[in-house]
Amino acid sequence: MRDAAALPEMTPQRRGARVAIGQLIDRSFRYWSLLPAALLFAALTLYPLLNLLRMSVSTIAFANGAEVWTFTPLRNFEALTTDDVLRPAVVNTIVFVVVSVVIEMVLGVALAIAVAGLSRAKRWVRTVAILPILVPPVAIGSMWKLMYNYDFGIFNQALVALGAMPVNWLGSTSVALASVIAVDVWHWVPFVFLILFAAVEGIPPDLLEAAHVDGATRAQMLRFIVLPLLRPAIVVAFLFRAILAFKVFDEVFLLTAGGPGTSTELVNLHLYKVFFEQNRLGYGALLSLAVIAAIVAFLLVSSRVALAVRRNGHSG
Amino acid sequence: MIANLRHVCNLLVAVAFVAAAPASAQKAFVDVGKQPDITVLIGSTPWYPAFEKVVGLYEQQTGNHVKLDVTPFNSILEKARNAVRTGQSPYDLMTLDTQWTIEFYEGGFLSPLTDVDPKFVMPKEVLSYGDSGYWNAQKRWRTSDGGKLMAYTPLGNVQLLYYRGDLLKQANIAVPKTWNDVLASCSKLAKPPSMYGFVARGEKGNGIRYDWQSIMLAEGAQVVKDPEAGDYTVTINSPQAKAALDLYANLLKRCGPPNYGSLGQGDVIQLLATGKSALGDVVTAAFASFEDPNKSLVVGKLETAPLPAGAGGAHGAVIGNWNAVIPKNASDAQKKAALAFSRWFLTYDAQRAYAEAGGIPNRSDVFTSDLAKNPKYRWMPAYLETMKFARQELGYAEGAQVEQILGLRLNQALIGEMSSGKALNTAAQEIEALFKKNGRRTGMLPPLPE
Repeated sequence: MRDAAALPEMTPQRRGARVAIGQLIDRSFRYWSLLPAALLFAALTLYPLLNLLRMSVSTIAFANGAEVWTFTPLRNFEALTTDDVLRPAVVNTIVFVVVSVVIEMVLGVALAIAVAGLSRAKRWVRTVAILPILVPPVAIGSMWKLMYNYDFGIFNQALVALGAMPVNWLGSTSVALASVIAVDVWHWVPFVFLILFAAVEGIPPDLLEAAHVDGATRAQMLRFIVLPLLRPAIVVAFLFRAILAFKVFDEVFLLTAGGPGTSTELVNLHLYKVFFEQNRLGYGALLSLAVIAAIVAFLLVSSRVALAVRRNGHSG
Repeated sequence: MIANLRHVCNLLVAVAFVAAAPASAQKAFVDVGKQPDITVLIGSTPWYPAFEKVVGLYEQQTGNHVKLDVTPFNSILEKARNAVRTGQSPYDLMTLDTQWTIEFYEGGFLSPLTDVDPKFVMPKEVLSYGDSGYWNAQKRWRTSDGGKLMAYTPLGNVQLLYYRGDLLKQANIAVPKTWNDVLASCSKLAKPPSMYGFVARGEKGNGIRYDWQSIMLAEGAQVVKDPEAGDYTVTINSPQAKAALDLYANLLKRCGPPNYGSLGQGDVIQLLATGKSALGDVVTAAFASFEDPNKSLVVGKLETAPLPAGAGGAHGAVIGNWNAVIPKNASDAQKKAALAFSRWFLTYDAQRAYAEAGGIPNRSDVFTSDLAKNPKYRWMPAYLETMKFARQELGYAEGAQVEQILGLRLNQALIGEMSSGKALNTAAQEIEALFKKNGRRTGMLPPLPE
């Protein structure tokens, strides 16, 4: 290191300018330090989003090995309004998200409270319970498809062994969506359980002991202490699950591919077919934007609700 | 003396080694010279093991290397699209389902085989598969009439009628000649749930569209009037198409398992292989697995016949072949190497080896060789007969969308969500709207009673 004495002589003006530059850099450093992240954001998020926007108002064809873009905004909007499969897909997606997430939340909360009450087997149960999250969705789809098989599946084999009629799990329009929801519930209850289990473990034991001393029953403790304290964690788990449920694809694709009819057609599955099977890039882009808009709208509404719940929780 | 003895011994060992080596290892079927390594995009389909074996033979004979990118069916199209839309293709040869080729032909993404080597001539024994390897850019149609040679068929799948010879014999039932015979036979043979009478694909999408179209063609119906001549009048809502749909639904409802509306290819093969179905409409490529004792309980029991005729006596079958193509954006040397492999693959000997490995050869002379008399290849006569009336379907740019429309509406009719008349009317309206949007000369028949 060079000491100050070794530095060459500087005029007061030069020294002043240097200090000013140094101060300027110091002051604006926080902005400069954001530059790499901002550039990455622009390259990886903003540009694809803008490109998606451009695609959504275009028809893209290929000729002589190159893309040919034509500006046709109305054509894609017309396709959106006349798409007969989109309507059942939206309805099925809403049913799928609401039913699966509600069941997962109820089971997740129940499981978290039940396991937290265990003394010895707690660690073992916790490890086993999270196994389904570790299985890849493709494996889950294949595994459940085998189990649901009408002739060879374990469920129908068991039903027949018990003297009951076999069930058309994936081939009946009235049962198929419920079968798909059941797989999603099996897959994601452990995720909800994991978040809520940590929250239950975080409840100060002295609170419960005090309530016990005051004569509160277990039901009262659950109703007035445990559940209110779990509220923020429940909101977080709910938000995560709802977003992921909106995005479900692999399991449905492998189990039913949207059939029979349109009974398990979901928006993401339809989007995949438009993009990759029909090769309609412009309409596919518009559909993607519509899905993104729906998820953002859902997030905005639910974050407001979550805020209100948190405020309620603190004031209560 | 000892040195001489050692010399003689070495010579004897060398002679014995050469004599013991397979005949194919001694001389290449055709001299293709030393070529750079090539990469082939191929699906992990039931016929892949046979292709892999033949590729191994090519490497052994020529010393050239082939890298196979084995990809699940659903991902092949995306890999192929990405390959041709980038600067340089990672693949030198790609195998594409016949339905996908139009997108690649029309997009100008491929090199005609005669552009790679003007001297290349397709052997006359190679089957044409409805000219699926030719593209006439002016007509926007796959035809050898004015079309360029873009591809050849590494696997020419077509549906066959599979039947349990033993069960038919026991029940004294003749091999069905018409679809109504199939209905009558399967009704007699069905004893659910231990034995179903007939299985075919009912799942929405490609499955039901492809299987049903054979009956549709046999009944004299068609989706579009004359697309080759530019007449895109939609004729799918004809009384003949309705009769075909009603018959197909009847077959599956009366003779199939209760989950007929979601039966896919794997399910149909599984039901036949486990001896749970007496009759089935399945691709030829499945035959090898029915004869494999590790995969089948009915080895030697399943026979094949050409797909039956419709009420008017006409036959119909849809070709479901694969096409091997060379991307335009591969380097010249790689294209030549891909064509060299193709030239070898199309020889009689290679195609015979392919058939022996469980594949479906593409040369007529293999089908008429002594192999066809071997019980192991007893599917060959039925295949060759079916190829006489089999044809390509949906061979236009809108084919993928038309398939989605038909695949959904047919499935809805099958599971009872719509009447057959309504399903076909709806499909016709949707297809007509699609053609209209794309500027085709179109129209549709008067609606069927719903």
